[in-house]
Amino acid sequence: MIKTDVIIIGGGATGCGIARDLALRGIPHCLIEKGDFAAGATGACHGLLHSGGRYVVTDPVAARECYEENLILRKIGQKCVEQTGGLFVRLPGDSRRFREIFLRRCDEAGIPAEVISASKALELVPNLNPRIEEAIKVPDCAIDPFRLCMLNIRTSELNDALILTRHKVTEIIKSHGRCVGVKALDQTTAETREIRANVIINATGAWADTIAALAGCHVSLTPVKGSLVITNHRLTNMVINRLRHPSDGDIIVPNEAVCLAGTTSIPIEDPDKTSTDFQEVETIIGEAAKMIPHFDDTRIIRAFSGVRPLLKSVKTDSHEISRGFQIIDHQNGLFSIVGGKLTTFRLMAEKMVDRVMNVFNLKRPCTTAEIPLDGQEDLSGYPLSRRLEDLKNIVCECELVTRQQVKKIIRQTGTKNVGDIQHRTRLGMGPCQGGFCTFRALGIMNDMNVISPEESMNILRGFLQRRYKGIRQVLWGDQLREEQLVEYIYLGVLAMEKPNARE
Amino acid sequence: MRVNEYDAVVIGAGVAGLAAASFLAEKKLKVAVVTKGEPTACLSTGAVDVCSQGDEPLAAIQKLPPEHPFRLVDEETIRSALNKFQQTVNAAGLPYIGSVEKNRFILTALGTFKTSCLVPVTMEASPQNASESLHIVTFRGLKDFYPGYIISRRKNAKFSVYDAGVSTTMSLAAHFEEKNFFEKFLLWLEKQNIYQDKIAFPAVLGLESAAEIVKTISILAGRPVFEIPTLPPSMPGRRLFNALKKTLRDNGGDIYWSWPVTGIEAAEATIEAVTTRSDGRPASINGKAFILAAGSFIGGGLTVTRHGIQENIFHLPVHIPGSRETWFDDNYFSMNHGIGRVGIAADAAMRPIGTSWKNIFVCGSILAEAQILKNGCGHGLALATASAAAKSCAEYLAR
Amino acid sequence: MNYEHCIRCTICVENCPVFRVNPLFPGPKQAGPDAQRFRSDKERIEDDWVLLCSQCKRCEMACPCGVEPAQIILREQQRYGREHPQTKTHLLFANNYYLSALGSLAAPLANLIAATQTGKKLAGKLGISTHISFPRFSFRTLRHERMKQSRTAKKVAFFHGCFINFYRPDIGRKIIRLFAAFNVDVVLPPQWCCGLPALGNGNLALAKHFAQKNAASLSNYIDAGYDIVYSCTSCGLCLLHDYPGILEIPQAKKIAENCYDVYEYLLKLMEEGYAQPKFGELPRRVAYHIPCHLRALKIGYPAAKLMALIPGLEYEILDDACCGLSGSYGFKKENESTAIQLGQRAVSLIRKTEAQDIVADCGSCRMQLGGLSGMATYDPAEILCESLGITAK
Repeated sequence: MIKTDVIIIGGGATGCGIARDLALRGIPHCLIEKGDFAAGATGACHGLLHSGGRYVVTDPVAARECYEENLILRKIGQKCVEQTGGLFVRLPGDSRRFREIFLRRCDEAGIPAEVISASKALELVPNLNPRIEEAIKVPDCAIDPFRLCMLNIRTSELNDALILTRHKVTEIIKSHGRCVGVKALDQTTAETREIRANVIINATGAWADTIAALAGCHVSLTPVKGSLVITNHRLTNMVINRLRHPSDGDIIVPNEAVCLAGTTSIPIEDPDKTSTDFQEVETIIGEAAKMIPHFDDTRIIRAFSGVRPLLKSVKTDSHEISRGFQIIDHQNGLFSIVGGKLTTFRLMAEKMVDRVMNVFNLKRPCTTAEIPLDGQEDLSGYPLSRRLEDLKNIVCECELVTRQQVKKIIRQTGTKNVGDIQHRTRLGMGPCQGGFCTFRALGIMNDMNVISPEESMNILRGFLQRRYKGIRQVLWGDQLREEQLVEYIYLGVLAMEKPNARE
Repeated sequence: MRVNEYDAVVIGAGVAGLAAASFLAEKKLKVAVVTKGEPTACLSTGAVDVCSQGDEPLAAIQKLPPEHPFRLVDEETIRSALNKFQQTVNAAGLPYIGSVEKNRFILTALGTFKTSCLVPVTMEASPQNASESLHIVTFRGLKDFYPGYIISRRKNAKFSVYDAGVSTTMSLAAHFEEKNFFEKFLLWLEKQNIYQDKIAFPAVLGLESAAEIVKTISILAGRPVFEIPTLPPSMPGRRLFNALKKTLRDNGGDIYWSWPVTGIEAAEATIEAVTTRSDGRPASINGKAFILAAGSFIGGGLTVTRHGIQENIFHLPVHIPGSRETWFDDNYFSMNHGIGRVGIAADAAMRPIGTSWKNIFVCGSILAEAQILKNGCGHGLALATASAAAKSCAEYLAR
Repeated sequence: MNYEHCIRCTICVENCPVFRVNPLFPGPKQAGPDAQRFRSDKERIEDDWVLLCSQCKRCEMACPCGVEPAQIILREQQRYGREHPQTKTHLLFANNYYLSALGSLAAPLANLIAATQTGKKLAGKLGISTHISFPRFSFRTLRHERMKQSRTAKKVAFFHGCFINFYRPDIGRKIIRLFAAFNVDVVLPPQWCCGLPALGNGNLALAKHFAQKNAASLSNYIDAGYDIVYSCTSCGLCLLHDYPGILEIPQAKKIAENCYDVYEYLLKLMEEGYAQPKFGELPRRVAYHIPCHLRALKIGYPAAKLMALIPGLEYEILDDACCGLSGSYGFKKENESTAIQLGQRAVSLIRKTEAQDIVADCGSCRMQLGGLSGMATYDPAEILCESLGITAK
């Protein structure tokens, strides 16, 4: 049994942000995540650090919040935030009135917004639709959300916090009506661990209600599916937004060597059973192609869906900190923090930890906005072209991941899961979606004797199935050809389905 | 327009295309092969799969559904096509062993067993079960081969690592062709005092001299030696391709590389020429008959868009068993994906069904209902249907 | 965006001769479509390994997806050349035309110096490899031939290239006489270096300069009813591929449509019935080495078809091995090992054919294969001339 001060359930941006804040304020804590980091909405979003422009017409206060956080994250994450800048493009037929309001509200909110001509916009982003009328330049940025979680968690790791990934919370332990701890099932070893704490924070996003129910509490959420597609390469080096009321498919974000485009908005029942529909893919491509025509015939390498945990209603007895997110005090030692967006994760975490300070009667201020994120020295950073200097010992040729990097992750994390390597290094995130490099990564694990043959085959099978889920709805053109090649390799050359004969 | 005249023009330089062209060239017909690039065969294991469902491929073929393209050709055609193949590659210095009567196994880089029928002699000694002890020799830095996969599946395997100074599949194969390098390697091998039943290598043992290299190592080590096919680049695949290329050239056939067919010329229902965009002048190749062996999706014989599937050269009707929802099953390993059944349907004379073109034939993986991975019938189907297509084509030309 | 089509099949890598022998070169897939995803117009790049590509184009000939890795790499090489200081060898070879002109003027002296130890040391200091000897400059270049007005029905203007002009004008004269035997008067239009040495050494501006001048000159001749022929397959590839491509020459299409390889043209004349020369017996066994750039021209092997008409001549086609010299590429010290390894492999395949002599359309290939093997090398024109009884005088 482990005793700590705070348990955080959920390893998305919010949970990791809270962990970092607790660490910097010197509070012992334990983070429990049922999958790997960013397994929920965090890992399925655009990776966009808003300038606030997207919300400035509908919700100027939230927009201003975004902008301030944008500035903070740029400061503390100098090597992990890519300062791409963003454009809001106005196409023929888009409302001029909206444009006027947009500019006025940006001005009022103090968000830098510069009107630039169509020709200047085309100079900045040559792939733009030549028919655009004009564009407004804003300070949008991009970040790899998984990396963001990892860097936040690094601070916790440096402060000896207990980080339990692949642990599913099965029970919230109550004593005299108060939540005093959790039982967590280690999904790798099937052992259950018990952790006790004074405060439990439910930061599980779309699963917030499921977790709250373990304590007999309730969180009103509407799970809404949002899907994104990923392109083979960067069609733009700046974030592209549509200058109109926020709608489906009107954001394109460059991220590492690809672009993400989306999203959609489909209410669903079960956050664990989501899959992308072909129609969603068509919608996203259609909308994106209006801003960047090449989208219509470019190669899409993957489509995936995440679940946005949207607040159903605002409870009058909970403390509403800011619009967009909500902290619910269940009055029994359990807090739930729901809603929000990637850009404001740090602010959400700050408010949450301020509440925790109240509970503990401590007066330690938040310093997460001042101190640079830990662990950035390991990053290759930007611009991307810097990574082309040395190409020795590359294991994933699409994303330039080296053998040393893979071995380091295997040693550091003791992982048996190739997905862990993928998230931390981008192995397998490129056009071939791990077709070649997964064999190599797993081979390295075999050589290092960290997995058994059954595990090896199961991992490979699981990887191929997961990979397939991501590419199934984008199988046409080059990506279908890619898929047929990978199929020939695994099912043909490597004879994966055939078991050993006559053992 | 620059004009080249041939009796038969084959589109596609894979196993099917080169085999069909060779059949025709041997009959003293003037044949040209045009190809967009090098074929998928270069990436294959090099082994000829006929039908992997069961021990006996011919019996297994009889059990295939009636719409399977193998059911279009009779057993005699299959036998003679595979016999011919063995004679051909033997003459080209790349003997294949095995017989169409019985399947055999090849040990894969994952340590699993792949069912095949005719295998290159460098894989003759590949174990047929788990009982033999193996010594695997790999090369330092070779990132496409990990003995750990095999060792973790077999209790009786060990490995050693040779520092060859180079670490890619291609450079290792090229170095093995060099006398000095090979001799140095053999000296090292001797010192390893290998005692296991057999010695295994990733398939990097040379290019044109692979058979001799394997034999020499085997004699020196006093025990059987075999290769294990790797991820692409695949040397056994390339060796097969080189052998088929050479055979065609020796028979007098012409091959036009980097020659994607972008158009055709026809008079009513008779195709007269295929054309390409060339730097400079448009180039065309005239033929009296045409054989389409352009492959499936990788090869480019069939193109899939968001909304449909087409054959883009002759606009032949493509057999598509259902809408996009049926193309891809939920389970990756179902082997029943609708997309595997897509292709050009043909009759027993290997003429495409549903077209009015008079002088065109099809063979190879572009055929409908092949389900190549499910049935394990890649190169075998290519050879058999190529033989049938060439026969029909020759008959057509002889009228 | 054709690098989108890359499915990572590695067929290009299987075909790359440099990748096979030089571990510093990551191969056409990595250097081309893979790396392109990380490159940006706005960022300076430090990928100096991109210079190790010899532009043999074998990757492009093999790619089943239409990716053109060599083209992607070529553009990156030009960028690198613009953004980084040029090495001595790059500067020298880009200006090969001017240096060869100087060399020819001072021919006997220049050749003497090049052959001495001092000359070799100097070459070494400049970063030039001496694994084979330099070509000898000829004082009497081809340009000295009087340009006749063409009186024949077929009018042909000969783009001879620097190799023939400065080093082997005798071959150029043979080609002219060969055409005469086919009843065609050949004229020599005003011409400069095709631009490929400049392009291959990262000097796009100089390449464009030459290309513009050549294009204007050849364009005039085409307008006057002349067909253009080239004998050097690298010049031909530059004219047909790079002029419309990276060099952006406006007259490129017109030139390409009227431009032929010498042997392609001679075959055409025979097919059209314009000429029916009688080839005499030539009992020899030769190895016909196909230059990488001839493969890339996609015209097949027309010289082989002509040699097939020579009674008694046995020839074996070798098109699987790059000779490794690739123009100025193999003369750079940093590529010396690559050039030697590739050359030796090509030579060993030639020796296996038991041929007496080597035939190749490209002067660069001839230098390399002859230099490494000690065997005699010939342009196909020399074989054809011999068979037709055409002598030097």
